Amino acid sequence: MRRPYLGDRADAVATVVSGERHNDTVYVDKQLAVKRTTSPNGLTFAGAIDYFNVAAVAQSLTLAVNGGGDLHLDLSRLEFCDVSGIRALVRVAETMNGQGRLLLHGLPVGLQNAMTAVGWSDLPSLVICNGGSQEQ
Amino acid sequence: MSASASDLRPSFRHEALLYSDQATFLEGTVRFIRDGLAAGEPVLVLETAQNIGLLRSELGQEADQVHFGDMAEVGSNPARIIPAWREFAAQRPGQRLRGIGEPIWNGRRPTELIECQRHEALLNPAFASGVEMWLLCPYDTKGLPPAVIAEARRSHPFIVDGSGSHQSTEYRNPPALFDAALPESPSESPEHGIERSTLTMLRMVVTAAATRAGLEQVRIANIVMAANEVATNSLQHGGGQGTLRLWREDGALIIEIRDGGAFDRLLVDRERPGSDVEASRGLWLANQLCDLVQIRSYPRGTVVRLHMWC
Repeated sequence: MRRPYLGDRADAVATVVSGERHNDTVYVDKQLAVKRTTSPNGLTFAGAIDYFNVAAVAQSLTLAVNGGGDLHLDLSRLEFCDVSGIRALVRVAETMNGQGRLLLHGLPVGLQNAMTAVGWSDLPSLVICNGGSQEQ
Repeated sequence: MSASASDLRPSFRHEALLYSDQATFLEGTVRFIRDGLAAGEPVLVLETAQNIGLLRSELGQEADQVHFGDMAEVGSNPARIIPAWREFAAQRPGQRLRGIGEPIWNGRRPTELIECQRHEALLNPAFASGVEMWLLCPYDTKGLPPAVIAEARRSHPFIVDGSGSHQSTEYRNPPALFDAALPESPSESPEHGIERSTLTMLRMVVTAAATRAGLEQVRIANIVMAANEVATNSLQHGGGQGTLRLWREDGALIIEIRDGGAFDRLLVDRERPGSDVEASRGLWLANQLCDLVQIRSYPRGTVVRLHMWC
């Protein structure tokens, strides 16, 4: 089975698309782009997360938390995220246990409803920051 | 009730109260509530707004000790009723409980009625052990068709009618829960394949249909989320592929997803997900987001129908 993995694929697409180095691109496929932000430390997601690319999303998150401290996710341009995507967020938040928090910014309303319905909206290490744009 | 009768009662008693008018409704329910309160048992009543009004005025101050919920809200999707009873029980561990629940009233759509009847039958395995609760389900024999009353006699081990409380001779256990037939789907609705790489397309198809059906934005997001989850279930557990069809029928948008898998847990769609991150949440979520969900499992595979009123 073909799976979107990080690494060679992300590099290749970033090169092909722009013709120049995009060091902030962590992952990209036909429906999702993940970029690194440094201030604050985090990731931006634009597009859709589903069963097709959730393995790559999980890997992006795992690599990003390796540095320690809080991780800010800008989800304001996330058009869709399924339960497996939410699960990836929750799993990473749980691994951060005590050493930082996962802060979600610009969480779309539909996604927030789903998180509440499945009981994932009140984990101590997962903070939902309402108000859309990412705080600096 | 006497102590000896109380000792004899099983841990879960599921009883249908067949009433024909206001007087017989109140006669059957008010004494049931008062007996419960006298024994110190927490009582939850999930009823129509009209019947809650009747009970409140009949009970007077005693009504303050009773927990009330509007069944039209709590049980608008009947698959949410068992979780409501379970939550009531979970908040009162070790206590003997009483409940009154009237999920079926004149005016429920035919598809809702089918799922309400399924809910009634599922209550028996749902509370087969672990919870000490006496649940009384009023049925309006004047307002409901005879077939509905006949089904109530099959889904309730006990019946209360003009001649008192007795075992139902027609009680059917185990019931046919998963393989009951669904109405034919219209043959002209096109079939969309479900594949891992085309979930985006599937969401576009559902979004377009939901928009055409006039659903508001939040409800469009809800049905898209639910359809995507059920389709993903097909990819993960249903043989790696499936088919989606959708159509409009009797004021509802219906999304049907079929695959080659099988459901093996009776309450698969109404068990509140616990803290286990890996536990499946798709069917639970579908029931929270959709107006009605029908799930069936046949030897040839499973069918899930998501309904949104439009």
